[in-house]
Amino acid sequence: MQPSKLDTANSSRVQWDSGDLDQGFVGLIFSCFIEDKHIKTGRVLYQSVQAQKGSEYEWIEIPIHVVPHEAIGNVCLVSAVDLPRFLCQEEQDTYRRIHSLTHLDPITKIHNGSVFTTNLCSQMSAISGPLLQWLEDRLEQNNRNIIEHQKDKEQLTQELASL
Amino acid sequence: MAASMSGYTFSSVCYHSANSNSDHEGFLLGEVRQEETLSISDSHISSSEFLNVIEVHNHKPCAQLFSFYDYAGNVNEENLNSILKDRRQNVIGWYRFRRNTQQQMSFREQVIHKQLTHILGIPDLVFLLFSFISTANSSTHALEYVLFRPNRSRYNQRISLSIPNLGNTSQQEYKVSSVPNTSKNYASVIKEHGAEFFDKDGVMKDIRTIFQVYSALQERVQAVCWEVDESERVREKIQEEVNKLKEEITLRKHNTAEEERRLQEATNTAVTLPDDSALSDPLHSPLMQVVHSDPSVEPSLERPVNSLSQPLYSTTLPPDSPSAILLPRPQAVGSPGHPSPSLGLGNGDGSSSDSLNRQATGQEDQDDEDSSEYENVVSDQVQPPSVTEAVTLGRPATLWPDGDAHSPPGS
Repeated sequence: MQPSKLDTANSSRVQWDSGDLDQGFVGLIFSCFIEDKHIKTGRVLYQSVQAQKGSEYEWIEIPIHVVPHEAIGNVCLVSAVDLPRFLCQEEQDTYRRIHSLTHLDPITKIHNGSVFTTNLCSQMSAISGPLLQWLEDRLEQNNRNIIEHQKDKEQLTQELASL
Repeated sequence: MAASMSGYTFSSVCYHSANSNSDHEGFLLGEVRQEETLSISDSHISSSEFLNVIEVHNHKPCAQLFSFYDYAGNVNEENLNSILKDRRQNVIGWYRFRRNTQQQMSFREQVIHKQLTHILGIPDLVFLLFSFISTANSSTHALEYVLFRPNRSRYNQRISLSIPNLGNTSQQEYKVSSVPNTSKNYASVIKEHGAEFFDKDGVMKDIRTIFQVYSALQERVQAVCWEVDESERVREKIQEEVNKLKEEITLRKHNTAEEERRLQEATNTAVTLPDDSALSDPLHSPLMQVVHSDPSVEPSLERPVNSLSQPLYSTTLPPDSPSAILLPRPQAVGSPGHPSPSLGLGNGDGSSSDSLNRQATGQEDQDDEDSSEYENVVSDQVQPPSVTEAVTLGRPATLWPDGDAHSPPGS
């Protein structure tokens, strides 16, 4: 997996936007939905890179480590919920632009309206629905864990008091 | 047969796996449905095919390895029921996450799978195997996944796992121009009946309706997300409290043990004193002096001042460590940090374009043991090792190809 020229050009532009090299700026590239149908193996890749000074298309790889964390942070949850909102916003913007064209006949307008409805339904079934399902499951799991931890806490408190 | 799993459920499994410092496993919950596909070809007027599709809705992670089976792979149904509780009937498979291993079921996994199939009464029980690999410079990481549907004759039968995607979002279906038509009849019919689709503002009624549905759904997502966020903070807080209590208990037990050890030493020292004056002057005898003396005065009983305030293991890295802020995960033997000629990960010059290409052998190899499982079990059972120790973890005593159980040399 290698970053494209566009990726490194954009990264380079942001890194040197202020004129000074931002050493802390890195690019994360995620590659998803890769499937080798022959061996029926799926793969998800992610890579960390940084553009190099002197050329827009040179880049180096930066080590990246995922730090374990038991609880999901607020930032991650907000991002997850914002995704369907952004997708819907993009769809609305496109539809408004198309709808503003005055030379379209009613059949074409009905067609475009159906496209908007189809795309929104697709977003709800592929994104919002599964997201809501996962959130509910996570909530249930958290509540169960909290009850278990509460019991553990009581037991440990008693044990500590006895020592 | 095919399988489908939403990206969020998939991510959730990956999240639990990434948080574990060893192999991770759990159960897949969902349902099986049948899809009928009709096809028409020149050779047949029409033909229908029934396809079983496994829908994975959720997963139940196991808190630790060997929670429902033992080292020999014998499944304990009681433990299994305590893990699954009322969701036993929703189980459609189980999963395992390993690092730096091949995409094949290990012998123990095959044994467990066979028993689970029988105990749960699911003939088409599936097994989802995740394998995590990284390049030598840790800049590129890959998570591979394969869904097995083992049956009597073949344990390596694979089925496709699809993660539904939005697909093409380029919005090319919108039309920016109408097909020219000079027919007056066409224009009048469209104008008359087409008006029913639009409201007084000229906006399609369906657009408003579907947008209302979407908005209501998004509001609900937002509300549940807020509840989840709250529950995450509560869980985090109570987890910290439990951890502190455990540390406090460990510390107290350690202190108690130390006190007992000191008293024991003091008693032993007093008993071994040969001086007769101990008998003549009990108040000023060395025994009394030893018992009542300040521990800091007696060099043999003195202990370092900060010994008890130090943590049981050190988590600090050397000052020149490049990863002082982000602690790298412990890596199993066979990881890129540990030489492994068979994997060939990384070219040493930073490039990684070809180093993650893998080929499934497609061969069932029952002698191939799950090496990372053993290392990670050992690392899970002992204190978490430091970074330098992680790459040198050796194999514990296990069966070698000659069949004898013995410790590997040098471990």
